Amino acid sequence: MIEFLNRKAARRWLLITAFLLSAIAAFGWSVRHSQDLVDALAIVDVTGSMLVRDVDKGSQNRLEAARSTIVELAQALPCSSRLGLGIFTERRSFVLFDPVEVCANYDAFSGAVAGLDWRMAWEGDSYIAKGLYSAIDEALPAKSNLLFVTDGHEAPPLPASGVPDFEGKPGEVKGVILGVGGRDKSPIPKFDDDGREVGVYGVGDVPHDNRHGLPGKSASSAEGWHPRNAPFGGQAAVGEEHLSSLRSEHLKDLAQRTGLIYAEQQNGAHELARTLRSVASRSSEVDTDISSLPALVALSLLALLYAIAWRANASRLHPASH
Amino acid sequence: MIFTTPYWLFLLPLAVLPFLAETQPREGYPGLELLPTDGISSLVKWSLRLAGVLGLAGLILGLAGVGVGESSRQVVGHGSHVVLLIDRSSSMDNTFAGRQPDGSEESKSAAARRILKDFVMQRPGDRVGVAAFSTAPMQVVPLTSARPIILAAIDAIGRPGLAFTDVGRGLAMAMSTHGQEQAGTGRSVVLVSDGAAVIDRRLQEKLRAEFARQPINLYWLYLRTSGSKGIFEQPAPGEEDTPQALPERHLNKFFESLHVPYRAFEAESPQAVADAVAAIDKLERRPAVYTERVPGIDLSHSAYGLAAAAMALLLMAKLFERSLKIEGGRRGN
Repeated sequence: MIEFLNRKAARRWLLITAFLLSAIAAFGWSVRHSQDLVDALAIVDVTGSMLVRDVDKGSQNRLEAARSTIVELAQALPCSSRLGLGIFTERRSFVLFDPVEVCANYDAFSGAVAGLDWRMAWEGDSYIAKGLYSAIDEALPAKSNLLFVTDGHEAPPLPASGVPDFEGKPGEVKGVILGVGGRDKSPIPKFDDDGREVGVYGVGDVPHDNRHGLPGKSASSAEGWHPRNAPFGGQAAVGEEHLSSLRSEHLKDLAQRTGLIYAEQQNGAHELARTLRSVASRSSEVDTDISSLPALVALSLLALLYAIAWRANASRLHPASH
Repeated sequence: MIFTTPYWLFLLPLAVLPFLAETQPREGYPGLELLPTDGISSLVKWSLRLAGVLGLAGLILGLAGVGVGESSRQVVGHGSHVVLLIDRSSSMDNTFAGRQPDGSEESKSAAARRILKDFVMQRPGDRVGVAAFSTAPMQVVPLTSARPIILAAIDAIGRPGLAFTDVGRGLAMAMSTHGQEQAGTGRSVVLVSDGAAVIDRRLQEKLRAEFARQPINLYWLYLRTSGSKGIFEQPAPGEEDTPQALPERHLNKFFESLHVPYRAFEAESPQAVADAVAAIDKLERRPAVYTERVPGIDLSHSAYGLAAAAMALLLMAKLFERSLKIEGGRRGN
């Protein structure tokens, strides 16, 4: 081999090849492949229970975790993907802006996500199911996927009739319900009229059952029940609605009703990006520059050429080894 | 100067190889000492070495992804910081005649959307932010030069709105969107609404203090539905002159009392909206210094090109190579 490379013609071909390869690298060489692009409208729950500090061992509240996950998602998605933003509170979703391209608008997008605040909520109620249905209605005309970020804490609790019916077509809007929050029940911070935090909600501060609509079947066995005067029973309900945890069962149920995928925030933004890409409806041909490949070969050849010449010189200087 | 994959730079010592050896083969010659130093020969020798160094270094720099990083430069142009404060209450979805849009007429929100988008696109020097208000104030997009997200936020005016019109807190939100940055740049808030509401006393005082602290030009583009009260309307004799009865007139009076440059535009048709926006455009045309971001440039292909050029030189030398040995006139081998 060395003998072969020592031949002048071989060296000349080495140099010619190196030159041609670097010329190819200079003009650029790229391969084309298709990539799934995500168009998603992110709707973030900004109701009171999202302020519970139970993410990452209590270092973050749920809203902060949701914000950072969305910004990380914008980083994890390929350019040309689009993300929109909206908030959910009360019983409906409110779109701040329609999906925009994530790379060119990254600064403004992350600024807008950072601006998500519980003060944007115009009402304290949190009818998650209805909010999700309205988010699906908002995503439908934009032809985008949906990313609904919530802890699943319904306030007030669902009535005896259970989850309201979904009137749309399940699976028409694809996307992800992202559950955020911890498994253990944690207290919910409480704020005064000027927005200052003043402790946490107590047992007596929140309703523990929903007395709208018809009472459930078991109501007649409740203490003090009277068909006209006390159809829900005579006692005020007590419960743990003043504490909040991630209601993953409820969210899984909602995901099934609406044909969405349930995922959890704690699995990270890359997992979320993967899930969203699995339902992506759009893909694009992207050119990946692989000019470094011929350049690397050219470099090896050129270095080899010099190395051989060096070796040859060395052997010429020490004729004994020749 | 930036490198996207800097670990390739560890190969840079390879670039000294041309000082250790040449691509041209050495040949024995008895007694070089007798010959005078030849200028052209050493020039050729050094340029071939240099070509070798450039060839190796160019390829390595290219592999390391050499480039010029993103920078910013100050540009003098026409531009200012504009916060669009947009009413997202559901009455915006009706026409100027107060009816449901039926195809022949534009809804107020559609007209506002179209004209504001033109306004934003005509003024490339502006940094624009969007805040919305209805029942609650919301910061939609912070001040930015990125146009697509601004257009998307303006587009969202067409989405279903909420119930009420909380102008006061919306205005406070628009002021905070402006923030403290960049004194010296023209700053303005363009309030687009189709109604007004009473701002309570405490909030009025806070707003007054805020406007005194940071002077901001205020424009109110009032999309007036026909038949509703106007901004400049005098109360009829016997009619109550209170903020509750005539909120538009009193909001206008409050804005006038803020001692900041303020103009109110009452638009009763899409054409009037366009005229008002053109007037705002004219008023906000002051020279301003703004920062423009210059995207980074990838120079790796130029580095490869340099390497290729250097190698072309080496190759030329290689092809012109003649041996001193005379072996039956054969060249090579």
